[in-house]
Amino acid sequence: MIPLSLLIMSLLLSCGGAILCLLLKHREGDIRLGGSGVGIAAALAGLGAGLTAIGAGQPAVLDAAGPYPFAHFVLRLDPLAGLMIAVISLLSLVAWIYGFAYVREYAGRGVGAMGFFMNAFIASMMLVVAADNAFWFLIFFEMMSLASYFLVIFDQDDEAVGAGFLYFLVAHGGSVLIMAAFFLMANQAGSFDFAAFRAHPLPAPLDSVAFLLAFAGFGAKAGMIPLHIWLPRAHPAAPSHASALMSGVMIKIGVFGIVKVGIDLLGASAGPAMLGWGLLVLAFGAVSSVLGVVYALAEHDIKKLLAYHSVENIGIILLGVGTGMIGMALHQPVLAVLGLMAGLYHLLNHAVFKGLLFLGAGSTIFRMHTKDMEEMGGLARSMPWTALSFLVGALAISAIPPLNGFVSEWYTYQALFAAALDGTPLVKFAAPIAAVMLALTGALAVMCFVKAYGIMFAGAPRSRHAEEAREAPAAMVAGMAVLAVACVALGLLAPLVAPVMGRIAAATIGTAPVTLAVGTTLLPGDAQQATLSTPLIAILLIAMAFLPIALKAAFAAKRGGDRKVAAPWAAGYLPDHHMPASAGSFAQPIRMFFAPLYTMRRAIAGRWTGIALGFERVVTLARRTEPLADRSVIAPIAGAVDASGKWLQVIQAGDFRIYCLYIVAALIALLALAV
Amino acid sequence: MLTFSHLILGLFQALLLLAAAPLVSGLSRMIRAKLHTRHGPGLLQDYRDIAKLMTRQDLTPPDSGFAFRAMPAVMLTTVLVIAMGIPMLTRFTPVAPIGDLITIIYLFALARFFFSLSGIDSGSSFSGIGGSRELTMGVLVEPVMLLSLFVAALLAGSTNLGAIGTAIADGHVHSATATIVAALSFAYAIYIELGKLPYDMAEAEQELQEGPLTEYSGPSLALIKWAMALKQTVVVAWFVGVFLPFGSASGMTFFGLLFGLVAFAIKLVLIFAAVGVVENSVARVRFRLTPQHSWVGVGAASLAFVFYLVGL
Repeated sequence: MIPLSLLIMSLLLSCGGAILCLLLKHREGDIRLGGSGVGIAAALAGLGAGLTAIGAGQPAVLDAAGPYPFAHFVLRLDPLAGLMIAVISLLSLVAWIYGFAYVREYAGRGVGAMGFFMNAFIASMMLVVAADNAFWFLIFFEMMSLASYFLVIFDQDDEAVGAGFLYFLVAHGGSVLIMAAFFLMANQAGSFDFAAFRAHPLPAPLDSVAFLLAFAGFGAKAGMIPLHIWLPRAHPAAPSHASALMSGVMIKIGVFGIVKVGIDLLGASAGPAMLGWGLLVLAFGAVSSVLGVVYALAEHDIKKLLAYHSVENIGIILLGVGTGMIGMALHQPVLAVLGLMAGLYHLLNHAVFKGLLFLGAGSTIFRMHTKDMEEMGGLARSMPWTALSFLVGALAISAIPPLNGFVSEWYTYQALFAAALDGTPLVKFAAPIAAVMLALTGALAVMCFVKAYGIMFAGAPRSRHAEEAREAPAAMVAGMAVLAVACVALGLLAPLVAPVMGRIAAATIGTAPVTLAVGTTLLPGDAQQATLSTPLIAILLIAMAFLPIALKAAFAAKRGGDRKVAAPWAAGYLPDHHMPASAGSFAQPIRMFFAPLYTMRRAIAGRWTGIALGFERVVTLARRTEPLADRSVIAPIAGAVDASGKWLQVIQAGDFRIYCLYIVAALIALLALAV
Repeated sequence: MLTFSHLILGLFQALLLLAAAPLVSGLSRMIRAKLHTRHGPGLLQDYRDIAKLMTRQDLTPPDSGFAFRAMPAVMLTTVLVIAMGIPMLTRFTPVAPIGDLITIIYLFALARFFFSLSGIDSGSSFSGIGGSRELTMGVLVEPVMLLSLFVAALLAGSTNLGAIGTAIADGHVHSATATIVAALSFAYAIYIELGKLPYDMAEAEQELQEGPLTEYSGPSLALIKWAMALKQTVVVAWFVGVFLPFGSASGMTFFGLLFGLVAFAIKLVLIFAAVGVVENSVARVRFRLTPQHSWVGVGAASLAFVFYLVGL
């Protein structure tokens, strides 16, 4: 029961912190200290709860009677929930450390309210993953959406309010679909308890309906394409430590939901249809990963760029989850564990490096007061620690060995490879294509983060603000440092982490664990298929680095000292600060890359056109397709809600006599019903 | 399992390749001179160049930072580590935990990351463009590399480069057509990666793939020149190890390794001679048209995949 008591402790601390923040709302200095202190304590307790739940063999269950007979308040900490709680806690820990200094940016604009919503947001996320009853799950899911909505609109400007409204609609549209899926299952089970859902599986066609509803609902939360439209607007609008939590953790709740419904609740008993679910998840994952990074490359706003990368990484996680579901459908437990474990590992990794990158972006914005990368430049000199942390995050998200992003992508590749080796013909066809999409995503991500780091931190300052920038406050650097160390540790210690992820995946699927590491070597269940050793790569990289250093040193006596030249070569012209590569020019040659992609698409449609106009077309296409979902889905819903609101205004005349009339009418109607 | 002698073999082949890399690039220069019917430099010119640059002053642009200074070492280090993972003298990969096709592709991305970043960091506009182009080339060739190697890996049942090479050498791949087409598409991707004409022109450094070199000088430039020669050799060795492993040693015997070394050297010289002929008989393709060409690679790799699926 240790995990549960720790969880409850963490939740109580969060509640206490929330109330504290409201009570002290006029004393912002005290809020910063008290709120962060309580938040850190809650996060540490949560981290303990998560880690012990992962370690424990049996899921811990707390069953408290709720106020309603249909809504047992059941908390269940299985290893999957433990992983999610550990991830939430780690990120919230860092967010509180970081926030201690960062909220000064918001001084006088309701720091207390921000603390309240942060606490509510974190607590509700923990409750969502721990809840084992559909009713409470939805309640906490709503709480999570609402708390994060208030964080999105915190700035209160037009952009934030617009983004918040969009987010509000998509989040609630999603939860309606999830609700429908749960109702289907509850109808069959006769109860809202997840335990009953597992005991009374849905019959054949209905389970696919339920899965598709839940997939769409949770997919909207996860920000997968084409339901991603809210994400690049909402995440940048929130304060940076809240963005880190939203991008690092909250969208993972969507993935968690897909795993929960597709594997935990429906998967064990699903028939052959499950193969289709797995392929569907795989396809959405592949499309999200490629298009996510493509859109990211075109961004100049650093937070938008990072938000699009979240879309990409959700795609990569879904590739793993989809492969896991395919493995379950094909009754290949090794493949199932490998796929799901790759997805879960990437979920953890993405939380860490995306959190890190958002905090890094937050630090530069804190000093620069702009999100436009073109205004930055050369910050590595004035903000060395921020730059170093950001570089670690950039390398990790680009899946550069031996960091953590590479390890989970490697497992994803291996899962896809295993699926392609022993799958049905359709799987054999789909899995290698997904792997190619992943390779494309990886290459584009490298380009995108060379651009992001290069334009922000390298070269010469691009504005006066950039020249005058100073290092971020110590608390902010400390928050980033924790995550940067985690990036390195989750990569180098992969031989210890991967088996844990494998156990979580095996427990979720309900099968035996798979050998994922022997000594310092990682392997995908079978050493014949492949091996990898991140510690060895790290050691060799460090050892080999002595060679160039020694070579340089060997000739040092024979040459003059190093010196700085006056200016870079500019073909004889006087160099000025407009000449170096800019965020726009650096990504520009990608038109060379995309033109054929779109040309191929047009070629299939019978309209082959030249490459020369490619970029313009890509841009127009991207502009046209992106808001398509916006126009055709979101706008009508928004319009309808607006219209019905106007219509409802009619009965609210504001005259108390009319309201009295309503009350009398209602009373009469009720009396008539009773009689 | 990785043993000490494997590690030593890996180290040996990496250092051997490092020592031989300027010779290989010297060979390329000699062939080019012959085809241009000019006298040209000697075979050892690149050694002399490197030695001379090593004794020159190291100049850095005023706004450059950590990335610019670290790049030459990072690049050479990464390529050396890659060289340890690729089967050259032997059928198997000397250091198996690196010799996985995915690991190798992503280790190249590490070199690419810093190479391009140094371009932005130098503050020169040419370097920035060069960095951007280098990454664009990566985007174009990486999927082709992955798909063609993936097909070969599926045929061999393993993503380890040595295992793929062994399966091909032993004739254990049941789909010969797919293997050959995969080899061709991989060769094409490798050719682009070499940075030779028609896709790149090493002599015109200012704006092309070697653009990030613009601001380098002295020992840094020497290290990069060396690293780039090594990279070209490693990339060709990669192709040889997977698709042309014939003649390499299947065990760790002395004569086996010696024979493997001779066979490897012959294959390397032949391939670079062929590359030299191709390189000097074509005109430069405009950069913006390169993707059209790379789609041929994608098409060929897809064809290999289709052949694999139908089992030809």
